[in-house]
Amino acid sequence: MTMSNPPAIPQALLHLLLPIDSRETVSGDLLEEYREARLPALGRLRADFWYWRQVGGIWLRAYWWFAVPVVLLIVIHDIFNTFRAPSGSSYLDGLPHLALAPMSPLVAVGLFCLAGAYGSWRTQRWAGGFVAALGTFCIVWLFMAVWWNATLYPFAQVQQSNPYWIHAWQWSTHRAHPPSFFGFNPDTPDETFLRWIFWDNVGGLFFLGIAMLTMSMVCGGIGSILGLITSRWRSGESQKS
Amino acid sequence: MADVLGSFEQAVLLAIVRLDDGAYGRAILNEVAARLERDVAAGAVQATLERLERKGLVRSRLGTGTPIRDGRARRFYAVSAEGVHQLNETRTAHDLIWRGFARPLKARA
Repeated sequence: MTMSNPPAIPQALLHLLLPIDSRETVSGDLLEEYREARLPALGRLRADFWYWRQVGGIWLRAYWWFAVPVVLLIVIHDIFNTFRAPSGSSYLDGLPHLALAPMSPLVAVGLFCLAGAYGSWRTQRWAGGFVAALGTFCIVWLFMAVWWNATLYPFAQVQQSNPYWIHAWQWSTHRAHPPSFFGFNPDTPDETFLRWIFWDNVGGLFFLGIAMLTMSMVCGGIGSILGLITSRWRSGESQKS
Repeated sequence: MADVLGSFEQAVLLAIVRLDDGAYGRAILNEVAARLERDVAAGAVQATLERLERKGLVRSRLGTGTPIRDGRARRFYAVSAEGVHQLNETRTAHDLIWRGFARPLKARA
């Protein structure tokens, strides 16, 4: 008898998410439930979706706490970037360095590194740490897309009453335009404030996304190696004793 | 009084008690879902089982695999004496809290 299998990608991810002692049992439980209950009752598409959801849930339970501080960091930066003094200076400018340190982008670098280290230490696999760091990036990036979309209109309303933002909009839309890219140039003199902010957010999502993806791969990779070395050293020490 | 167990922890522990020798991951998941009358994530049950085992409230052993799970082993769980004690303590605490109230509780107009 040929038995249907869940999609290959979440199966592989599941193996990289689970600690060594529960890898076989938990993946076996999910496979059994998929084949015996979900597939006959739900059909292929919905059963596959169920499997994806279970794997996502396992990832979230293990690593959500790395994504939360990065998300908070982005929210804080976005709020203080939007709500500025009329002169354009940030309300954070006067704070002491010690208070500003937890809000530094270096914290995000450290968190991606930590996610990688914890992931590889937990799963005793280098790739396990890499998946933890990349998963953190995915959650943060998705959040950014939702956050900027949800706050676009209310934030733009506030920004339109600030001379700093009005000046920035006018400078951007009325400066000499570069040649358009295949006929596409969003910076036109008749561009509305809301449209200008929208494209600013799209650009932010794209470029910050690339920066964070690179950061999560590099820092997550370094952290993964460190975590793997630590877990191997620990298991070596416990075998000696 | 010992720490009172959360409602999900109670559901998992009682599922293990009910399933007796057949208490392994998937069976526990389905039993908890049936009792709580909602879909339950496998990750939530797994995380709870790991936590309960760390606390010493359940113990586990590996069983053999079956063809439907491609031969992958099953982990069978049993509630420890401490687990039974904690369940009783939790039930007592709930009974004490609810003593004197008629069921269902009526909202004040």
